[in-house]
This record gives sequence, C-alpha cells and structure tokens, in this order.
Amino acid sequence: MKPLKVLVIDNEDVICNACRLVLTEKGHEVDISKTGKSGLIAVGHTTYDLVLLDIKLPDMDGMDILKTVKENVPTLRIIVMTGYATLSNAVQAMKLGATDYLPKPFTDDELVAAVEKAFEGL
Amino acid sequence: MTSSTSFESYFHVIRDIIGAMHSLTDLQDVLDVVVAKSTQALKAKGALLRILNKDTNRFEVRAAAGLGERYLNKGPVTTETILSTLPEPGEIYIITDIWNAPRIEYPQQTWDEGIRMLLDVPLAVEEQQITGLLRIYLTEQRELSEDEHDFLKTIAKQCACVIERVGLIQKQQSHFDHLATQVEKGSSLARMAAGIAHEINNPLAGILLYSSNMCKKVPKGSPLEEGLNIIIKETQRCKTIIQGLLDFAREQEPQRLPVNMNNVINSAVGIVENEFHLRHVKIQKKLDEDMAEALLDKNQIEQVLINLLLNALHAVDSRGLVTVRSAVDRKRRKVLAEIADNGCGIPKEHLGKIFEPFFSTKANGTGLGLAVSYGIVKNHKGDIRVWSEPGRGTRFMIEFPLALDASVPKERK
Repeated sequence: MKPLKVLVIDNEDVICNACRLVLTEKGHEVDISKTGKSGLIAVGHTTYDLVLLDIKLPDMDGMDILKTVKENVPTLRIIVMTGYATLSNAVQAMKLGATDYLPKPFTDDELVAAVEKAFEGL
Repeated sequence: MTSSTSFESYFHVIRDIIGAMHSLTDLQDVLDVVVAKSTQALKAKGALLRILNKDTNRFEVRAAAGLGERYLNKGPVTTETILSTLPEPGEIYIITDIWNAPRIEYPQQTWDEGIRMLLDVPLAVEEQQITGLLRIYLTEQRELSEDEHDFLKTIAKQCACVIERVGLIQKQQSHFDHLATQVEKGSSLARMAAGIAHEINNPLAGILLYSSNMCKKVPKGSPLEEGLNIIIKETQRCKTIIQGLLDFAREQEPQRLPVNMNNVINSAVGIVENEFHLRHVKIQKKLDEDMAEALLDKNQIEQVLINLLLNALHAVDSRGLVTVRSAVDRKRRKVLAEIADNGCGIPKEHLGKIFEPFFSTKANGTGLGLAVSYGIVKNHKGDIRVWSEPGRGTRFMIEFPLALDASVPKERK
C-alpha cells in the first residue's frame, strides 16, 4: 500500500512511540499529539490520511474530537483506540464516522491490519 | 381481692405486655416486660424465660426477674431434660415436689431460693414446635385460679408469636443487609473494573506492541524468541482477564424478548460443537418439543449456555458425554435448561464457591465464567442451580419465568 501520513493522538508516550515504530517500519510517516487540543490543531494545519485517536484523553472527550474532525475533514479516516472497550462506545464511534475500533491492548499485526483495512480498495 | 378486681389486674398486665410487644422492636425489651409483669400479676417470687437456640438445641435464659444471681448462673438447660416431661403447648405444668421433680435439675438451690412451687408454661405458636419456656417461681404452694390459668396461657401464646415474628424480622433484616452489601459491592466493583481497564490496558498495549514487533526481528531459533512469545501470550491473557472483569462488573441490562429456549440451546451447541468433536466428547440433546417462551436476552443466555457447555467439556475425559435438556415446568411456570456431564464432578468444599468471582480450579481460568453467568441469570429473574458428585458428574440447571407471566411487552418488530 502507498505510504500514509498518520497522526497518533494519545496521552500515553508508550502507545504513541510504539505505534510510530510499527507504522514507520511499514513505510508510513507518523506524527504525535499528546493532547486533544494539540491534535485538533495538527489536523487543521497538516493533511493527514489517517488519525489513530485514543477515546479517553485528559483534556477532551475523544468522541468530541472525532465529531469535530469528521465535521471539518469528512474524508479523513479515523481509527478509534480505547482501553475500556464496550459495545456501546464502539457503536457510538462508528456512528460518528470512525473507520474502525481498536480495543487496547493490540499487537503490531492487529494495528497494521486495521490500517490496511481502512484503505482497502484504494 | 374480688374476682372482678383480679380479672381487672390481669387484664391490665396483659394489656401492658401486648402493648410492649407491639411498640418495642427489640425482643429483649419485650421479654423483660413479660417476666416482670408475670411475676407481678401472679404475686410470684420471680420468673424466668428461656428460648430455644436452634443452633445449639439448648434452652437459654433470655430474661429473668426476682431471682438471685447464684440461681441464675446454673447455666443452660438441654432440650432433652426439659422436653422429656414437657406439657403439650397450651398446658401448664405445675411442680410442687421440689425435691423429686425430674424437671428440677438443682433442687437444693431452688429450695434455698425459698421456692416452693413452680409453673412451667411452654411457648408455642398453635401446635408448632416449642420455642421457649416461661417458668414462674412461687414461694408458697397454692391452687391456681382459672383466671391465672387463662392469664398464663394468653401470655405464653402472645410471647411465642412475638418470638417468631422477631425471628422473621431478623432473618429479613440480615437478608436485606446482605443484598445491600452486594449492591454496594456491585456498583463499586463496576467503577473499579472500568478504572482498572483504563489504567492497565494502556501499559499492556505498550508491552504487546513492542513485544510483537520485536518478535519479528529476532532470527528464527534465537533464544529470545521463546521469551518474547511468552510475553505476548501472557499479555493477551491479561487482556482476557480484564475483559472478563469488565463483563462481570458491567451492569448490563438484558434486552429481553420472548424466546424459545430450544433455539438458544441449538445456537449455543452449534458454536461449541466443533470443540466437542475435537475432543471426542459426545453432546446429546433432549429438548422438550412443546417448549414455551421465556423473556430472554438471547445473546446473554447463549453466553451462559456456552460457558456451562465448555465447563462440562473440560470436566469430562475424552469419550465423555454431555447432555443438554430443556423442559417446561408448567406447575411452577418455569422454562428450564439443564447441562449434565459424566465428568470429574465438583468437590463438596468447592460447591459453595463456584459462583464467586475469581474462583477457579483451572490453570488458565479467570474464575469469572460462572460468576458472570450467575449475574446474567439473576438479571433475568431466573435461577441457576448445581448438583455434583465427585467422580460421577455435574448437573447445572438454569430456569426462567414463562414469558406469559412477565410484564414486558410482546416481541418488538
């Protein structure tokens, strides 16, 4: 698949760095935002192909970020990550336009598979 | 004293005692009033009230009036000695021969107390088991008047009623206390579980991403490979445990619709069939063709059945047999499903714990399967029961009220 420009929004360093490691090894370019606010600014400044978004951030509700990003950049693909996976928040995320839903913890293969699935047929 | 005035005084005493019974919720207060007022009404030296402790089968002194410490400290009386010659409920046993009466265990002390006559009045509700004994101590021997007889019988009956009532209230109280703790525990557990999931899954995600990534980078056969694989496997195990904890703690309201239990059984069996086949374990279905509907959340009940089926599978050796039955108990208006195996059985000492969260005898078990199942069944106003004999097998039964009896609208289209 073609190299993607990816933004990871997660307040946990270890998640951001691990995602960056796995995805850069697959040839993608990865930026990191540690807060919801800086994530929204980054999305406004840069054109990304994909956002990996943690649903629980200290400064903002992930669902609100998802909603705002989808309103401003409707074509942007967003994969929602969460440490507290429930059926109802998965359904809510998909309704708000998330491309996929990745419950933590996940393996590198699961991450790569989710990213590839989001761009299937492109 | 004329007959009418003595009647009046008994009436007043009875009124006081009944008043105490209705206004006081503490049994001890009522018993104290009973012994004091009985002593007063019969112009006795004193009175003693013993109540049967069902745990020890002993009559224990619960209230006394007018008697010396030394006399009271004789200790409890066994049921046998008292009941051997106990009168029928509603009768009064009069003892005048202090020295030779078999019912007096300590004649010397009794005599020293100045007691010359005793009245034993058994406390019992109607014809039921005797729950207590009221003993009245008189300092002189005399005939009992009819009023006195009536008075004692009335007191005995009222007293027995109040003892029973207090017993019931206390039982209810402890039941509610237990429920309240469970509810409290449930909601704090749900909050804690959500917190744990958030906090632990993030570091686990770091471990899993790095270890699975690193595993691909070590050359095949490297000594690091085994360790990395173990890290990956164990991290995934943590994930399963946390998911189980969340399922257990989450207050999931069942989406109940009229469902045929046979359909749920068939789909659950369909899911696990392959697993059974691989282990050469036979699964036998005996479904009631004339099945009635129950209001069930199909997915949740399917989860319960799968859990019970897999437990049965793990309990039997290869070539074991697991039987799934369904039935309608029209008399009790219940739909039943039963899963029985001829496996290793559950040791008696474990039976009481199997529904407790985190109780497991399996090496890799989370100990949440049956706890989750229990919660689901109870959320459906159903019941789950177990019978087991080590070496012979185990039988789990779940039951739910018939759909017709439940006040939930018919199937939504």
